[in-house]
Amino acid sequence: MIEALTSLAAFDRAAGITRTEAAAPLARASFPVMPAASTGGTDFGDVMAQLATGLRTSLRTGEATAISGIQGKATTQQVVEAVMDAEQSLQTAIAVRDKVVAAYLELSRMPI
Amino acid sequence: MIDPLSASTRLASAGLEAQSLRLRIAAENVANAQSVGDGPGADPYARKTVTFRAAMDRAAGGTSVALQKIGTDDAPFRIERDPGNPAADAEGNVKMPNVNVLMEMADIREANRSFEANVQVIKQARAMVASVIDLLRT
Repeated sequence: MIEALTSLAAFDRAAGITRTEAAAPLARASFPVMPAASTGGTDFGDVMAQLATGLRTSLRTGEATAISGIQGKATTQQVVEAVMDAEQSLQTAIAVRDKVVAAYLELSRMPI
Repeated sequence: MIDPLSASTRLASAGLEAQSLRLRIAAENVANAQSVGDGPGADPYARKTVTFRAAMDRAAGGTSVALQKIGTDDAPFRIERDPGNPAADAEGNVKMPNVNVLMEMADIREANRSFEANVQVIKQARAMVASVIDLLRT
């Protein structure tokens, strides 16, 4: 599972690339209104990147704490808290992903 | 600004730790209820007491609980007559610990109830967070 976690970094990078290289020039080229809207505060890509980073951190912490719990270095309470934290982040990420996929499908159903 | 729901989870987990410590002290007292001193006329095990205080937890942004002091109960020791005991003094009296097992049992039960209450707080906070996340699903 730890190996699988490193692949989450790809999600991070993807979010970064979407934001800086793909989305921004597109927005500036074809939709002149978009850059003006995104200059004030954080944009959606930032929020997604933050979410992914948070998820990765809490999953990693949960995993590490579970291992040290097995080794007897962490109390049951610490292990349960870390795992619950990771689970909660995962639930949030899944909910957001479902929402993004639903939005994408909605777009793809648009009559051209 | 910290999320109040995760703050309450943190505070409740501090409460869990406090109650665990209280149970540990009660366990020490029960285990040593018959421990005499290590020489003729020496003082036996003295009952341990534990007190807590309110502590500011900056990370959680609330008032948490922390250990105040692990002290000793200065109630007088029980005197038993047992001339064969290695800890007996010249008159054959042995000082026994001032531990009342019945009182320790009451303390253990109270720690257990407090622990359950804190677990309930964590459960409730989790349920509330889960219901907020569920808003995204509908």
